[in-house]
Amino acid sequence: MFEVMMYDGGVYRSEELFEAIEDVGGVILQTTRSAQILTVTMSIPGEDKDFISKVCQSIGGEVKCVPLAGTEIAVIGCTLGRHHMPHPICDIAEEVRQYGGITAVMGLARGRGKNTSQISAQEKSIIEEYDAAVFMLGNFKNCIDTKKELFKNINTPVILVCGPPIENFEDNCEVVVSGVGRKAERMKSPEEMKKLQEIGDAIDEVIKNKKTMLEEDPLFIHPAELKKLLEEYEPINMSLRPAPIVLHLDSLRVKISYREHKDYFNSLEVYGRKLKEIARVSESKIDDSSTIIHIKTLSEIEYEDKGKTQ
Amino acid sequence: MEVEVVGSDSYGCSAYKTLFETIISDVGKATLIDKTKIILKPEIPLFIFSIRLINKPVNKVISDVASLRQEGNETHLSISDERYAPDILSQLWKNYGRDNVEQQTRFDLVVINGKEDIIAELQVSSGEEVKKDIIGALWRIMPEGIKVRHSIFDGKVITVIATEEIICPEMVKEGSTLHKSLGGVV
Repeated sequence: MFEVMMYDGGVYRSEELFEAIEDVGGVILQTTRSAQILTVTMSIPGEDKDFISKVCQSIGGEVKCVPLAGTEIAVIGCTLGRHHMPHPICDIAEEVRQYGGITAVMGLARGRGKNTSQISAQEKSIIEEYDAAVFMLGNFKNCIDTKKELFKNINTPVILVCGPPIENFEDNCEVVVSGVGRKAERMKSPEEMKKLQEIGDAIDEVIKNKKTMLEEDPLFIHPAELKKLLEEYEPINMSLRPAPIVLHLDSLRVKISYREHKDYFNSLEVYGRKLKEIARVSESKIDDSSTIIHIKTLSEIEYEDKGKTQ
Repeated sequence: MEVEVVGSDSYGCSAYKTLFETIISDVGKATLIDKTKIILKPEIPLFIFSIRLINKPVNKVISDVASLRQEGNETHLSISDERYAPDILSQLWKNYGRDNVEQQTRFDLVVINGKEDIIAELQVSSGEEVKKDIIGALWRIMPEGIKVRHSIFDGKVITVIATEEIICPEMVKEGSTLHKSLGGVV
């Protein structure tokens, strides 16, 4: 099983780390360099975790725990208007990044108002592309009760963040974190920072549950392994977008157009099988600038194989 | 600035009190406000904000915020209220050109070919602007979906009544009562 960890240290002798990752068959998820400071988020086989930690320490860096690395989390506000943005939505997104996750901040087109708020089917299908969605609502219990319909029937775990403590939300979301309502300034007091940590921990818990479910019926290939194969393709390798491939727990977001590169995706071979046999490849619901590769589970592939032989 | 919030949701009331204080300070109008009463009824929904200002917003001319003296074809200005210094300077530049306005010190200006009585009457601040800024801040404080609004102005008191769909006569009545309680006349 692949595990995700982060190196935080200097650029000096970092080549040794990159070589060690390659030697153990690991994958670099993200590299960020700022002057002489380097952070590397990597996915490595579980049995080599100690070896990589030792390499990190020997070159003067430290290993940080990034529980949300390898996930993409959506943080959703009712709208993109100044009443709902930037605080506290951007503070939550920043906290998720501190936990190692990749974030997307979005606002609904018609999410404002108590009786008039709505969510479209397209918005729901976009949210479902992410590993988890954090919904941020306001300060009034009455409004939150009405707005819980916004995240009903979304096929991805939802974490609700709102002001007043609320009950009976089990049908609509996984976790509720109360105590963070609408704000007009940054969350920087010790209590607020503690609250942000609580939100981060709640997301981590939800992701852990999703990982446990995936382990019960494992994927045909780990997304990090597939990422390694995809990186050899020139349009991805040469892409200037900050993270050309984003890992999800059971899928990948590849930031090249599906329509333009359909032939490549159809012909790619993974462990002796075509990619289209082991994964559902489709264009992203946001637009055609990225492709979603949803990896099938072993049992799913076995079932399909049986169907073919019959 | 005294802020009184009444409503059916205790958490929401305290959160909106903080929001009001933060946003009014952000727009720089906290020093103009004497007292504020807020009614929050999210279950209807009905939101009423009533503000009493310390002074009635009026138009200010240069003679209100600076002393003037004519010497030959030059007019000397000495700014007494620093807040208006940028507005005075921009008005003088607009009317006499940059070449004809000399800034000797931070508060002392000389206008060449300027007549004292004409300069004295140049407007540097509009009362309407103050009202507009306060109403803008109130709209920013109110929830985004509460878009149907009715405003009452009277001298020093500004009241905004807002709901989501239709403003009923009872809502206006409640707003008017709050407006009167702060000394306004409807």
